[in-house]
Formats: sequence, structure tokens, C-alpha cells
Amino acid sequence: MIEVQNVSKSFKDVQILKNVSTVFEEGKVNCIIGRSGSGKTVLMKSIVGLHEVDEGQILFHGRNYTAMNDKQRKEIRKEIGMVFQSGALFDSETLEDNVMFPLRMFSGMSEEECRERANFCLKRVEVVNKNNLYPAEISGGMQKRVAIARAIALNPKYLLCDEPNSGLDPITSIVIDELIQGIAQEYNITAIVNTHDMNSVMEIADKIVFIYKGEKWWEGSKEEIWKTDNKEVNDLIFASELTQRIKKSFL
Amino acid sequence: MNLFYHIGRYMLLMKKAIGFPDQKRMFWRNVGKEIVSVGYDSIGIVSIISFFMGGVMALELAMNMENPILPQYLVGLGTRDTIILEFSSSVIALILAGKVGSSIASEIGTMRITQQIDALDIMGINSANYLILPKVTAGAITFPFLCCISMILGIVGGWIVGDVTGVVPSVQYVTGLQYLFQPFYVVFSNIKMFLFGILITSISSYYGYYANGGSLQVGQNSTQAVVVSSVAVLLFDLSLTAIL
Repeated sequence: MIEVQNVSKSFKDVQILKNVSTVFEEGKVNCIIGRSGSGKTVLMKSIVGLHEVDEGQILFHGRNYTAMNDKQRKEIRKEIGMVFQSGALFDSETLEDNVMFPLRMFSGMSEEECRERANFCLKRVEVVNKNNLYPAEISGGMQKRVAIARAIALNPKYLLCDEPNSGLDPITSIVIDELIQGIAQEYNITAIVNTHDMNSVMEIADKIVFIYKGEKWWEGSKEEIWKTDNKEVNDLIFASELTQRIKKSFL
Repeated sequence: MNLFYHIGRYMLLMKKAIGFPDQKRMFWRNVGKEIVSVGYDSIGIVSIISFFMGGVMALELAMNMENPILPQYLVGLGTRDTIILEFSSSVIALILAGKVGSSIASEIGTMRITQQIDALDIMGINSANYLILPKVTAGAITFPFLCCISMILGIVGGWIVGDVTGVVPSVQYVTGLQYLFQPFYVVFSNIKMFLFGILITSISSYYGYYANGGSLQVGQNSTQAVVVSSVAVLLFDLSLTAIL
């Protein structure tokens, strides 16, 4: 479980996050949604410590991450797996080496054990017989899957995904969504997914946090979002005519 | 003020980068890779430039000393001292600042803008230490080697060109090479290259590490890394020559 308590963050004079508080629950997929520039990525980066928050605190299972020094944070970071929008795979390493990377650094396993574990994770994300390829040699969707494999290599307690579906076709998006949902349930991981893709939200979200102009504007389940009368939420979720029609038929 | 800002930030980055690596096995693996990229891959350009510059130096010295009072062996002596004292260290360092510096800055800069450095940080890895220390170590190890290769090939280049063109006979050239030879010059040159290796790799890493924006910024930072590394090489060359 990750608790965000009264978090604020500014860059120079521009306040990006304003007193955001929420709880991301264990074993569930928590989606952060909002318009571009609303502060979703800043919130995610603040959670993992890539940005220092100005005010408030972030607790990982009750452990106050914001008050920790670098050494203490390092221990928590080993429990976090993160999938970036671009995948952020290491260009100069093969796919297998990318997944083996955190294992070599932290697991204390032998080279053979690391390789076995990496192959297991690659198989889990359905990337097989491609171990010796480089990230540039595979598709964007496959890069995301390898990024997920790398993120789960150390059996993390927390999985954070920053726009995992961006730039992917609808079918590949579904594959990625199912992977994230499956892994969160299988390993009882607290998953946070930052997304624009409303199909994803409706498919996998156990909890939805809507960020609007840096504030937490709304939160609830995907069932509740259909019925909410919050104007900003409706403007985002049901922006297109098609989604409006779907909403009418759903209700 | 901007200069002090960069110096301060560079110092802080080096403080973060220099320390015990998280994983020694990975560190030495990376040092090996960097030795290939920084050192081994530079042997070609260093060899070609050194050989031809040695030849040019011998020719020009010979042409400028067409005086019967001046003995011909001075061509060998002049070529030797110029190559050992300045060319193989400072000029080669300036060339390497261009080749190695831009490569390091663009590699780390690209890693920054594609969030690969963020990925390292989130894993709990000291990204500065992981990325920069192997490069600096490889620079410190390989630059003196490149300096030695340059010295040998520069002197040999002068010898061959002098002999083939007939401007200085082999015997005279070799006599000049041996005349008043100071072994400390070789040590001095290697000390300089050791420091230049550290300077070029660390300054270029700094510009790459703090790249932001897109590919344009990475390109600009790479250029800046080369310019600043070159100026630093010249400043340190002057200081070391004065001190040592």
C-alpha cells in the first residue's frame, strides 16, 4: 500500500501538485488519470523519489519515504518496479541482459540463476527466443513487455507504470493491460498506472484517481465513474461522441 | 557566475560518482567495455595522426635547418622532444576530447532523455557512479597507453619520412633521438595524459548527465563537452608544464 499525504510540488513559481492525498491499495491496479499537463507524471515521479516533494509525505506500507535518506530509500527502491513511457530499456544491452540487470545488481544470485530468472520473466511477458536481440531491434509493444519483465525481475512489492499504452495499437494495449493486471494479482503487488487510455482504465482499474490542474479532483472505482456527475471527470472520460453513447447505453 | 555554477555542479557530480561501486563484478565488466570504447577504438586515429605528424615534423624541421652549421641529427632531437613533450600528450588529448568526449556526452545524454538514467535511479542504483566511474577509470588507464603508442609511431613516422625523402639520413636521425635524452619527459607526458584522461571523460560525462530536453540539447551538450574539455586540457597543460 502506498499512501500519498498532502503532497505539493512546484517547479520555480509554477505549482504542479496541490495538496494531493490518496491511498493506492495493495494487490490492486490503481489508475491515475487526467488531462495532459495535469500533474500525473509529476505525482508518479514524486512517489518514486525522482522529484522531491515540497510538502507532504509518501508512505510505503507505513514507511515514510520522504523523510528517508538516500541509503534508506535505496532499500525501498529495490521493492519498486517501474515501467516508463518509453520503456527506458538500456540500448547497449540485449533483452536478456536488460532483465538480468537488476538481478545482477541486487539479487546475489549466480550468473546462471540470474539467467534462469530473466528467462522466466521474459516468458511471463510472452517474449520468447528473442533474448539476444537489442531494444532497437524489437517493436514498441515488445519493448514495453520487456520493460515489465525487468520491473518484475526482483519480485517488487510496487509496480508503477507511466503511460504503458502510449503509442501502441489497441490489441497490444490490451496485452499490456492484461499483463499488468495479471501480475498485480499474481504477486499481490500495489500497481499504479498513469494513463490517458480510457479503455485501459475501464478494463483494469480497481481504483481511479483523477487529477485536475494539480489537485486530486475525484477518486473512486470504475463502476462509480460511470455514474459520477463530476463535470471535469465526464469531460475527460466521455470526451468523444462514441463514449457518450456508450455511457447512455450503459446507464 | 555561470562558470562557478558549472564548477560547483561538476564537483558535486564527481563526489556522487567517485565511491565504491554497488557491484564490483558489474563495475569491472563496464570498465572493460569502456576500455574498448575509449582506448582500443581510438588506437586507429591516434596511430594515423601520430605517424603522419611525426613525418611532417621531421620534414619541416629539416627544411628549416638547411644551414651547414646545424648538424642534421637535430632533426631527430627536435622531432623526438616535440612529440614526446607536447604532441603525444596535449595534441592527442585535444583530438581525443573530440572523439571520446562527444561520444561520452551523447551516450549519457541520450540515456538521460530516454529515461534510462531515471530507470537506474529508481532501481536504487547510484547512476552517476554506475555510468561515470567506469568511463573515468578507463580514461585514466588507456590515455597513457595511447600516449605511448603516439610517441612510438610519431618518432617512427619522422624516421621513415626523413629517410625515404632523403632529408635526414637514418644514422643522423637515430643519433638525434639518443642525444640528450631525458627519460622524465616520457613520464611527464604520461602524467599529463593520465590527468587529461580523467578530465575529458569526467567533463563529457557531466555534460551528458545534465542534458535535458531532446536530441537538439544532447547535440549542443556534446559540442559544449568537447569545447570545455579542450579548454581544460590546454589550461592543465600550461599549469602542469609550469609545475613539473
